Amino acid sequence: MSDTIKNVEEKNGVIIISTSGYFNNVAGDDVLDVFNEKVESGSKNFLIDMNDSKVVNSIGVSILIEIIEKLQEIDGKMAFTNLAGIVEKTFNIMGITKYCEIYDSVDSGVEKLS
Amino acid sequence: MAELSSKKSIEDLEKQLLKKNKDLNEKYLELETILDLTNTINSLDDLNDLFLNVLTLSSSIINSSKGLVLLKNEISNIFDPVSVFNIEESKIKKQIFNIRSGFLKTLNQKKKAYIISENDNFNHRLFESSYVLISPVIYNKNLVGAIILFDKETRKGVIDFESNDIKLLEAVSIQTSIAYQNVKLLESLKKSNKLNENIMSSITTGVIEINLFGEIEFINKEAIRLIKKDEEEVIGNHSFIIFEKNESVINLIQKVETEQERVFENEFSLKSGKKNISVNISCSPVFDDKKIFSGIVIAIDDLSKINKVKSTFKKYVSKNIVDKLLESEDSLNLGGTESEITILFSDIRGFTSMSEKLSPTQIVKLLNKYFKSMIDVVFKFNGTLDKIVGDELMVLYGVPLKSEDDTNNAIKTAIQMFKSLDKFNQRIIKDGFKPFEIGIGINKGKAVSGNIGSDQQMNYTVIGDTINLGARLCSHAKSGQILISNSVKGVISDKYKFKSIPAIQVKGKSKPIEVWSYMH
Repeated sequence: MSDTIKNVEEKNGVIIISTSGYFNNVAGDDVLDVFNEKVESGSKNFLIDMNDSKVVNSIGVSILIEIIEKLQEIDGKMAFTNLAGIVEKTFNIMGITKYCEIYDSVDSGVEKLS
Repeated sequence: MAELSSKKSIEDLEKQLLKKNKDLNEKYLELETILDLTNTINSLDDLNDLFLNVLTLSSSIINSSKGLVLLKNEISNIFDPVSVFNIEESKIKKQIFNIRSGFLKTLNQKKKAYIISENDNFNHRLFESSYVLISPVIYNKNLVGAIILFDKETRKGVIDFESNDIKLLEAVSIQTSIAYQNVKLLESLKKSNKLNENIMSSITTGVIEINLFGEIEFINKEAIRLIKKDEEEVIGNHSFIIFEKNESVINLIQKVETEQERVFENEFSLKSGKKNISVNISCSPVFDDKKIFSGIVIAIDDLSKINKVKSTFKKYVSKNIVDKLLESEDSLNLGGTESEITILFSDIRGFTSMSEKLSPTQIVKLLNKYFKSMIDVVFKFNGTLDKIVGDELMVLYGVPLKSEDDTNNAIKTAIQMFKSLDKFNQRIIKDGFKPFEIGIGINKGKAVSGNIGSDQQMNYTVIGDTINLGARLCSHAKSGQILISNSVKGVISDKYKFKSIPAIQVKGKSKPIEVWSYMH
């Protein structure tokens, strides 16, 4: 586990990645590493819990877009939960929300993705 | 072949379009974030919240990896870190940031955003950074803070900041400076409001502020006490509703609204709960900077306390003295002080044998009539009635209020007392009683005056040798006699004729005392 990844767990076939702190280059790369590792093991559905990440920058967002592109290639799904208002707004502007759903809680995210 | 080439061109075009779209989105995000930042920071009234918001949002749009806000300490003039983003606070805790040297000195000279160069002697190792962008926070044309961002992030690692980043951070720091100024103004306003509140709640005058629409905007504690209403009920309510049962107050307000001049009413009857109390009330118009009428301030002084003092004191001194005492608090000395006083004692000769022949009711009735006529004289000449003991009166001159005529007034009192006694005797003789006979003694000298007694009972009186001698003179005085000491004789007007009589021996004095007797 790194400073930027608080927890990774699997529930009903959904990989839940909980991030922490500034979602920038470093956090984005850490999520990418977890994603690559889990995809190799056959996982296709990911839920990113950003409860403890209240600030994102465009580099962090562009890494998330990379992940979404890769998921589309393997027919996987990605969703987000517990987004701060400003983070959700950034995701809207950067177009992420066109490809991913946002859920109010981890449980509802897992239910929809599984 | 041509088909392949065309397909590749379309793909390239598609990639370029996607890239343009991404760039446009990023620009849109920058604009939105600046707008958000402006809205957010202008609604904050706490500096810590302000700087944290500035730091996180500017780091986010500029893609810096970390950031720091320094703020000038008003006492030490050293700049302290007040907000950090993605930096371990412990690392910079002991670092001194001084405006007289290094990057802050340069920032103070430039007073605009710039990228720190090698010449600025910046401690990159401290922040584990390679690139630094810094922008000032200005207040009253002085540098009061710095927003510092470190290392611009890209997908390929960190790079130096670009000119566009300088523009962006400068826009943020201008907004921050304005917000800082607003917070400072708000703080100073709150401080001055607090001071006003403290003054208003501690003064003994009730104050009510009414706005242009007739609504009560402010009321202090004393006014709440006087009008007997809750603050919540009063604030924001129309003054006519609050003073519904005080029609005369509404009349005053209307008069000020119409004439826009101050109105003052003395001994005004104000409805206070179920009671009516006596107050002095003034209604003054308030004008704004452009001298336009903007409301009314009502000031109310409760007279009931003053009246209580008046009625209490009135038993002991003349109304004249009570008014003087209330006019000038400095002249009232109720503490234990030694001062020059004149004291008059009078008592009824043969009262004990006389009282044996009368019923208790008759004695009380007669004595009350007698004292009333004597005390009227005492007050006429500004004497202070110290006490009545049995058939004896003790009267003071010179305390609690001093005047140049004190001793002459004592003499005038004594002479007038005999005249009043004659009239009193004529009345009681008609009713079949024997006439009263009195003797008077007057002395002058130093005595200690003040409130003497215990918590249960405290009386204003005087003590000392001067008093004792005054009492002895009175007991030596025969019926119809006014005896005075040398100290009295030395200061009274020549028009009062006294003759020397043989010196008398008094208890506690080794030598006989020279005494003078009034020649009727």
